Order: sequence, then structure tokens, then C-alpha cells
Amino acid sequence: MKTESNNKLTKKDLRKLAFRSVLLQASFNYERMQAAGWTCALLPFLKKIHNNDKEKVSQSMKDNLEFINTNPTLVGFLMGLVLSLEEKSLIKGLKVALFGPLAGIGDALLWFTLLPIVAGISASFASQGSIVGPILFFGVYVCVFLSRIIWTSAGYKLGVKAIDILKENSKSISKAATTLGVTVIGGLIASYVHITLLPSISISADHAISLQTDFVDKILPNILPMGYTLLMFYFLKKKNVNPTILILVTFALAILLSLLGVL
Amino acid sequence: MHSITLLQGILLAIMAMIVGFDFWLEGLYIFRPIIVCTLTGAILGDITTGLIAGGLTELAFAGLTPVGGTQPPNPILAGIMTTVIAYTTGADVKATIGLALPFSFLMQYVILFYYSAFSVFMNKADKYAEEGDTAAFTRLNITTTLIVGITYGVIVFLCTYVAQEPMRTLVESMPEWLKHGFEIAGGILPAVGFGLLLRVMLKIEYVPFLIIGFLVASFVQFTNLLPVALIGAAFALYGYVNDKNKAQVVNVVNSNQGREDYEDGI
Repeated sequence: MKTESNNKLTKKDLRKLAFRSVLLQASFNYERMQAAGWTCALLPFLKKIHNNDKEKVSQSMKDNLEFINTNPTLVGFLMGLVLSLEEKSLIKGLKVALFGPLAGIGDALLWFTLLPIVAGISASFASQGSIVGPILFFGVYVCVFLSRIIWTSAGYKLGVKAIDILKENSKSISKAATTLGVTVIGGLIASYVHITLLPSISISADHAISLQTDFVDKILPNILPMGYTLLMFYFLKKKNVNPTILILVTFALAILLSLLGVL
Repeated sequence: MHSITLLQGILLAIMAMIVGFDFWLEGLYIFRPIIVCTLTGAILGDITTGLIAGGLTELAFAGLTPVGGTQPPNPILAGIMTTVIAYTTGADVKATIGLALPFSFLMQYVILFYYSAFSVFMNKADKYAEEGDTAAFTRLNITTTLIVGITYGVIVFLCTYVAQEPMRTLVESMPEWLKHGFEIAGGILPAVGFGLLLRVMLKIEYVPFLIIGFLVASFVQFTNLLPVALIGAAFALYGYVNDKNKAQVVNVVNSNQGREDYEDGI
């Protein structure tokens, strides 16, 4: 009985599902976030699993229209999993239980680890006018997109087992990704935030001490960029200041200090 | 000093639609400034400006991520306008990144409006689900995506082609200290982005890695961050293996301790 219900979707179907998973955010909204896009991506396969039985498809669509908000690149894993269980009709609530951990892993890996690294490296090429920068960036993200095929078929094949694996590993993976990400951000702060003090103090007619090179840099290079970044972090985290306000204040400050000749 | 031709304006609008779809769906990441700026530069026939703008804007927007349904200042409008203003006025991209920001905020609010407005469509989605009408359901999703894409096209056409003359007048009338101020701000701006990344990631146990990454990049002069990334990867792997070993021990001690905390780290 198990074997006959287990393999309604072929390898080709799963690849199609991986590509359709891009619809996840098609009608993103504050009420149910990705729910409609999620359901839309699954439609052809729901029809196939339920042999076009309109009533069953309708019921399944209604079930799938529940709130979801997860990582778009990894969502295929959850889609594959849900469909493999849909065949055995035992899903209720599974999606709701799992989209959070999956979002945690996906955001940690993609937005907070991969993006700073790839952006940092490809931007260093692009800033020098080299086309290698955007090509490298694009190449990496085409691979990321194609990885959807792997997640989708993994989710489908693992079925219920996937739940344990996801729950066991999400914490360790997030931690490792955060370690890598934070290290790279430390490097990015040193490389890409530029604050240079202009004033110099003249001590004799032909000798002057530059505030930046003779004073600040002697303490610790890049101490001003790090200091300002941590100040931003403090306002964002502890004071819950809106980032837009910080951007505007940074601009006002830069213009004021430019006018005064400090920066 | 250049002007944008009608053809270039149309091409920019089409490009904006395509990358706009991609940002909405978060598919290929071609909505990131490094790609958008390069494409804009290519359309304008000045790819070097596009690349330099791309490198700079990409990093300024590194921390402004659409994670968890939040909407950051729009990277597409930032990318296009930073490049376009540099091209049309001849100003330095470091300064034009600041001039592009109002456009970026404008698009951010348009998208936020759609996030709210599209809630209305959920009633329809429920109705189609009730009827099992898959065709109508798919049409609904395509409609919303098209609305967003077309909005990108229209706004970019207006901002680049129609508004270029007042833009140039504005930049030309700016005094030197103001331009310099914008350049400085462009150099500091990534700090806000990195601060945003750290807000999500930085817990006390990760502070050592922030310090190590910072020191390595400060003292090892190298053109890219790959060495820093490798050091980070080494620590990540070390921590992961340790974590696994510890988890195994804990699992033996008490095989099921109920709910885990997924909020750790991220």
C-alpha cells in the first residue's frame, strides 16, 4: 500500500516543482504573506496527486492557503515534503510547524553569509571597473537557484524523516553560518566603511600632525569605521531606531562635517 | 554630461521590469545593485561607471535585506539612479549614491503599499480555492506579479527619462562642500547596512569572530575578502563539529527534551 502511493511524482515533476517554487512570493501580502504563491506553485501536482478530483483539490488548496513566510530559495524542500505527505494525506499543520526553522536556516545561509561574502568579493572587482565582479555574482546565484532542484527532491524523498533532520540540524547550521557571516562582516567593516579625518595640527612652519595618519591610525587602523558601525548597531538593536532615519542622519552628519572641514 | 535618449529610457524601463519581477519573487538575485548598475551602465553605453557604481551600491545595500517580509530601501531604484545620475551629471558615483536614495525610498513605499493592498486579493484566492478553480487561481498570482513589474517600468521611465533635466540642474547648482558631503556619506553608508546585519546576527558568543575578521582585514592587505571568508569558514566548521559532538552526548543523556530554540544565532 505504501509503495503504490509513494511515487506519484516523477523526477521530472520534481524538477518542475523546483522551478515553480519561484512563484512563492507572487502575491505576497501582509495578511497571509506567501500563502497564495505557495499554493499556486503546488497546483499542478495537487491535481496529479488527487487525479484531478475537483473536491479533493479544492480541499487541499484551502489547507495550503494558510499563512506561510519562509526562505524562497529553500522552500522547495518544504514543498517536496508536503507533497510527499499529501499523497498519504497526513499533513495538517506540518507546513506551519516547519516554515520557521527553514526560514532560519535559509536566511542565515543566504542573506547573512553568502550575500556578504559574494557581494564583498564581486564588489571589489567591480569597483576596479572589472566585469568579473557582476559575472561572478550572477554565476554564484544561478547555482543557488539551481540548488532548488536538490532541496525539492530531498524534501520529497525524505518525507516524514525530513522533519527530524530539519529540527536536529537547524540550530547547528544556523550557528555555523552565523560564525562565518560575522567574521566576514568584521572584514567588510574594515574594507568598505570609509571615514577619514582631514584636519591637521601644525606644530611648526613646515611640520604638521595629521589627525588621521599620525593619531587615529596609530591607535588602531579603521577604528572610526568600526566605531560608527557599532554605534549604528546600538541604535538599531537597543533603541529600535528605523534604519531609514539612521541613513538620513548619516547624510546630514556627513554634509555638516564636510562643511566644517572635518571629513 | 550626457542625456538619456527615449530609447535608453525605454530600455531602462524594460530592464527595471525584469529585475523588478526578480526582486518580487527573490529568484535569481539580479535585483542586487551590482547587477542592476552594470546593466544600467551597459544600456547607457558607459559600463565602467555602471561597474563602479555597482561595487559601491552593492556594499551600501549589503545589510538592507528583505528578510521576514520586511521591505528595505529599494536596491533596484538605488542601483539605476546612482548610475543614471552619475552618467547624466558627470558627478562621482560616491556622491550620486546619496542622490539616488530618495528614489530608493519612494519605491520602498510603493512596494509596502502593495504588501498591504494585495491582502484584498486573499478573499479571491479563498473563493477560487473553494471552487477548486486552479486556472483562476494561477491568473490571480500572475496579475499581482505583473502589477508590480509594470510599476517598476513606469516609475523608472519617469525617474530616468522624464526627470533628467531638473536632476541635472539640481546637481549643477550644488556647492562643492555639499557634493563632498554626499561623497563622504556614500563612504559611511555601508556602516548602516553592516549594523543591520549585526542586529540580526551579533550575539555575545559571536563577538570574537567579528573582532578577528576586522583585524585580519585591517592588517592583511589584500584585494578581496576571500582570506577572511576562509578564516570564518574554519571557525564555522570547528564550531559545527563541536556542536554535533555535544548534541550527541546530550541526546544520550536525555533523548528528548522537547522544543528546541531556533532563534539561536539568527
